[in-house]
Amino acid sequence: MRAVRPCAGTTGGLRRAGTARGVCFRVDHDSSERRAFSLGQPTQRAGPARRRPPGRSLWAGGTRAVLALLLVWPMLSVAAAPRALKINGSTTVNAVAAEAAEILRREKKMSITVDTQGGSSGGISGVGDRSIDIGMSSKPLTAEDRAKFPKASFAGTQIGMDAVALVVSADVWNGGVRALTKAQIRDIYESKIVNWKQVGGPDRRIVFFNKEPGRGTWEVFAAWLYGDTKRAPAVRHPEVGGNEETRQKVAATRGAITQLSSSWAENHPKVKAIAIRLDDGVAAAPDRATIASGRYPLSRPLLFITSGPPAGDAKTFIDFVRSPRGQELMRKHGYLGMSDLSTGTAKGAR
Amino acid sequence: MSRPRVDTVRLTGAAATAITASALLAVIALLAAQSIPAARQGLLHFVSANDWSYRAATFGAAAMIYGTVVVSAIALLLAAPLSFATAVFLSEICHRRLRMPLKAAIELLAGIPSVVYGLVGVLFLRDLMGAAFERLQWNAWQGDTLLTAGILLAVMIVPTMTTLADDALRSVPARSRDAARALGLTRAESVFSVVVPQARSGLVAAVLLGLGRALGETIAVFLIVGRADNRLPESFAGAMRTLIEPGQTITSKLGGAEPNIAAGDPLHGGAIALLALVLLSLVLLVTLAADRLRTGTFAEEH
Repeated sequence: MRAVRPCAGTTGGLRRAGTARGVCFRVDHDSSERRAFSLGQPTQRAGPARRRPPGRSLWAGGTRAVLALLLVWPMLSVAAAPRALKINGSTTVNAVAAEAAEILRREKKMSITVDTQGGSSGGISGVGDRSIDIGMSSKPLTAEDRAKFPKASFAGTQIGMDAVALVVSADVWNGGVRALTKAQIRDIYESKIVNWKQVGGPDRRIVFFNKEPGRGTWEVFAAWLYGDTKRAPAVRHPEVGGNEETRQKVAATRGAITQLSSSWAENHPKVKAIAIRLDDGVAAAPDRATIASGRYPLSRPLLFITSGPPAGDAKTFIDFVRSPRGQELMRKHGYLGMSDLSTGTAKGAR
Repeated sequence: MSRPRVDTVRLTGAAATAITASALLAVIALLAAQSIPAARQGLLHFVSANDWSYRAATFGAAAMIYGTVVVSAIALLLAAPLSFATAVFLSEICHRRLRMPLKAAIELLAGIPSVVYGLVGVLFLRDLMGAAFERLQWNAWQGDTLLTAGILLAVMIVPTMTTLADDALRSVPARSRDAARALGLTRAESVFSVVVPQARSGLVAAVLLGLGRALGETIAVFLIVGRADNRLPESFAGAMRTLIEPGQTITSKLGGAEPNIAAGDPLHGGAIALLALVLLSLVLLVTLAADRLRTGTFAEEH
């Protein structure tokens, strides 16, 4: 304020110079127009006012054409595009679904989109509000899911099985942590145990990367620890989403632990799946034989969710994943296929 | 002959304007309607409690509001001095021939999609910060922290703030500078006691518009903020500590999985809508303030 005052008077005095410059500009402009005239060039710059009437009718015609196009175009594109089979949900199931979709696109020319927004719960919600055709879920359907969408009649079709492993970074594994009890895992999750040396590991703080609530992995983990996911306490851990992101962060962070689909931890140099020490003292590792035997406590069905029994393109897709070729994809990605399960039926699907 | 054609154009224009103007109102109205179930639980609880957990159906968003404010504040503290210094150089010091390419480059920077900045954060800044914390022995968990997000945001808003601050300085009439120099002021004196004070409201507007961008930025923050809920400090030392811990902002929450999950749950969906309203009001407030200041500058001039 103060600094402006003294010069305000001065600038006032100079205002004439500004006006003079304004005049100067106008003179300049005139002279350039005159130059254009004298050179005999078309009067594009000089006579916009005179050229307006023909220009305006052209503009109005153009506007009408654009408007007409705007109206017709969406109809054309809707008519032209085939209806795509929309699939969304768990990244765990996505590994298989994306590959199956690729095969069906190639061999049967089906139009399929596969996405992983919101994990299993995102998939179930999508089927519930009819925005997608198939939801991918790595957790069983619950009464809560059904209550949220009373109008939808969810149907789950099991395609195989997977286990949720507790996965640690290599330094924790090499520091001697190979198995944890359920009580230890709960204390770590609730930040009552904050250093690995409290469970026989290296002297390093524990970084828990928590799978986002809504992800099938988290749902299965929380249901196992607390009986009901609603009883899981609010925690303050950094959250992670998809399996790739989770694995990458655990690999890059010392002292890290997370919940992760067991197949994503197989044969990886920097992330290791630890065993769960059962009440009888036996350590159950999330390997294929232990999962198939039912001894590993954190196993879960992998499902396709549809609104009512699968039909049309959705049925074609689900049948393909349940066929021997599709089941081979399951095993390729480290999951258990239907024939690996002891019962072989759609256990836990409904 | 031309009458009806003019009316077609005028009508189309009016309709388009009506759609544009009602879009903002519609967004606010829809969010407000949707947020009613959550607002019934108590607005005070929503903004002051620290217990966001949709499983337990408790929605206290204090930690997210804290995260948004802290991340934006860090960004402003880092970006404002840098932007002002650059703007003073561009507008007052450097040669005209150098100015044009520099200005063009800065405006190009302002147009880089934010996900690109986010990837720079994931591929480079996160590890750099992690290594720095390690070297300093600050015992941070990892590189995803509120501080990291603030630094990345600062880099993102510097071009916007620089180019707006430059415009503000350039809008000070040359006669003021001439008068100052004629009175015998040095160039530094004329810049800091004549030009900058006259451009002050424009400069504040530049800061506010930068702040507006920082508040609303989603994807870049989402990727490197750590997304840890309910981390609210209890003391000043604790607040310093939270800077190098993972946190959550309103945008990183809204950009995450919860809006998808909330579909079909009125209370959860309401809480998400309320969160969006809080963010919208913050950004609107800042933008309106900036607009007032900017029009103020230009009115003064004429």
